[in-house]
Amino acid sequence: MNTAAMPAVERDRANRRTAIKLGIAAAAMVGFAYGMVPFYNVFCEALGLDRARPELADVHAAAMRVEFDTNVSAGLPARLTPLQPVVAGRAGGLVKARFRLENLSDAPLGLRAVPSYAPERAGRFLTKMECFCFNALTLAARETREVTVVLLVDEAMPAELGAVTLSYTLFPLEGKA
Amino acid sequence: MTAATETLNPIQGGHADEAHGHDDHGHHASTGWRRWVYATNHKDIGTLYLWFAFTMFIVGGLMALGIRAELFTPGLQFWQPEFFNQLTTLHGIIMVFGAIMPAFTGLANWMLPLMLGAPDMAFARMNNWSFWLLPPSALLLVISLFVPGGAAAGGWTLYPPLSLQFGMGMDLAIFSVHLLGLSSIMGSINIVVTVLNMRAPGMTLMRMPMFAWTSLVTAYLLIAVAPVLAGAVTMLLTDRHFGTHFFKAVGGGDPVLFQHIFWFFGHPEVYIMALPAFGIVSQIIPAFARKPLFGYHSMVYATASIAILSFMVWAHHMFSVGMPATAQLFFMFMTMLIAVPTGVKVFNWIATMWQGSMSFETPMLFAVGFVCLFTVGGFSGLVLSIAPVDTQMHDTYYVVAHFHYVLVAGALFSLFGAVYYWLPKWTGYMYSERMGKFHFWWSMIWFNVTFFPMHFLGLAGMPRRIPDYPLQFTDFNTLASVGAFCFGLGQLIFLYNVIHTIRGGVGKAPANPWEGSHTLEWEVPSPAPHHTWETPPAREVVEKGLKEQLL
Repeated sequence: MNTAAMPAVERDRANRRTAIKLGIAAAAMVGFAYGMVPFYNVFCEALGLDRARPELADVHAAAMRVEFDTNVSAGLPARLTPLQPVVAGRAGGLVKARFRLENLSDAPLGLRAVPSYAPERAGRFLTKMECFCFNALTLAARETREVTVVLLVDEAMPAELGAVTLSYTLFPLEGKA
Repeated sequence: MTAATETLNPIQGGHADEAHGHDDHGHHASTGWRRWVYATNHKDIGTLYLWFAFTMFIVGGLMALGIRAELFTPGLQFWQPEFFNQLTTLHGIIMVFGAIMPAFTGLANWMLPLMLGAPDMAFARMNNWSFWLLPPSALLLVISLFVPGGAAAGGWTLYPPLSLQFGMGMDLAIFSVHLLGLSSIMGSINIVVTVLNMRAPGMTLMRMPMFAWTSLVTAYLLIAVAPVLAGAVTMLLTDRHFGTHFFKAVGGGDPVLFQHIFWFFGHPEVYIMALPAFGIVSQIIPAFARKPLFGYHSMVYATASIAILSFMVWAHHMFSVGMPATAQLFFMFMTMLIAVPTGVKVFNWIATMWQGSMSFETPMLFAVGFVCLFTVGGFSGLVLSIAPVDTQMHDTYYVVAHFHYVLVAGALFSLFGAVYYWLPKWTGYMYSERMGKFHFWWSMIWFNVTFFPMHFLGLAGMPRRIPDYPLQFTDFNTLASVGAFCFGLGQLIFLYNVIHTIRGGVGKAPANPWEGSHTLEWEVPSPAPHHTWETPPAREVVEKGLKEQLL
């Protein structure tokens, strides 16, 4: 509202009205900033985004961030999904990870998971106790199965090791694919 | 709410009408320090803002020189790394919140009522408050250098977890940001109300000067995002002292959340520092090309689109924190989209100059320098908008080069241009054109010597915020340091020129010293009397100027 031509009383009142509206908008934006906190949590959960974790931030016990990566070789009708893509490993503790393995075809499928990891220096501190990659696997048509990996983290794991990535790639069993 | 606003705006009700004028004159009988501490006149407050901004520019500039001195050669010469980090942090905060933003608010205070034909800003007392919150907040930052643990040292972005670990210097910085935010919000409310409600009859929104438009949009941006920053730093404060866990992973919080909230403020902030510069340049270029601004309407729409888009690109500052590819793509394309309205503006300025009768007085030199160098900064911004490239360049000197091109050659050059352009109106005297031109060319050359090599340093992988660096970066760093010291020295010429002008300059200035200026501020005498447009300008006066501007 243009108040230039108004008498002073009305002009001041109109100006004040506009200012109050703007003040309310500013106050609402503080609320918006705090509103971003729950929204962020919901958003990350809905999209399955990796959040910072309390167990990884505990400074009293050296923790290693273990990330799982999965791949499927080209043309293989299978899917491998880590149920927990990131877990915390503690010196001297066990890391247990589960994966969902699916056969997407209508025929039985023979396959094997080939592991790899990075960085190289982490290898000394991780011992694989149990792994679905130790054996060849055969899945029935459309079968879904949970498979596990169990790792022992060395007592001597240095705190600065940070993160390690374990990767599993599915390959068809020779002569069967 | 009402009670509060009443105290902010005491002139009301019965006694107003004819007493109004006398009332104000009574105020301005106050002299000496009272004139400034109790200032309610928009010109006095504008002057205060501008001097405050220049003082902070010198303080922040000295810190920059401290940084460049350390980086002159590899190794640690002058400062310990902890203090170096405090220098980079305070340099950023002071230049953004203490120099650039108050300078634009000061210009808006001085010029908007004159350009719009209003007697003053809408809320004179609130205006006094918004200025006088600034010196204490600057003082808090300076004091923080001397408390145990020193000033905040985690970069101007105050990222946790570092910002959760510092000593009380960080708390002082947080309170300082609170005060600065409050000041900006009040200043912005004043600007919005003045522009929306107090224009001269006949000057519709789509006919007002571009500087009024960009100030209006900037003020809206500030009202929207300054509270968000206040919220973010309040969360930091409660995380530090009151046991909350917004950003502490130990209690289930997430430090990345801070980055989202900060940049939701931070990206519009970039345009808060750029849009008023666009407005100034859009006043200066038509005046010295002696042609109306090309594409006024598209300029207005471009300003508005930039403002709207600025809310949808914040995560391009965070490409390296680990976002899903779809999110990266979204923010990448939205960022690139901003180049379209910005391009519209640059082409409009060029088209305004095209076939104009151009003359190159100092304001025009700074405006043309702005167009050239801001475009360079815009291009390096486009490079950084590409997510995979940014992952590589993140936190390198390439980023430092980019934002100094848009903030120094962009915002600061436009401010210099504005000062030279309006100095005759403010002081009633002409500045020395020779000294002004020297100031421009000196700044232009040394600015590029300082910041252009930083592109190469960044491409070669030199990280920002480090006090020491590998040997292979020596040559470019030495060059940049030499440039910085020369650039800094040159600003003393500017200070001298301004003081010289205040004391009489090279002679009296006419009401309108520029041939091609047709906005309302040139209709009042030079120097602008303490009270102007107490009755709105006559319809014919407004229409005459608008006709010259083809509006």
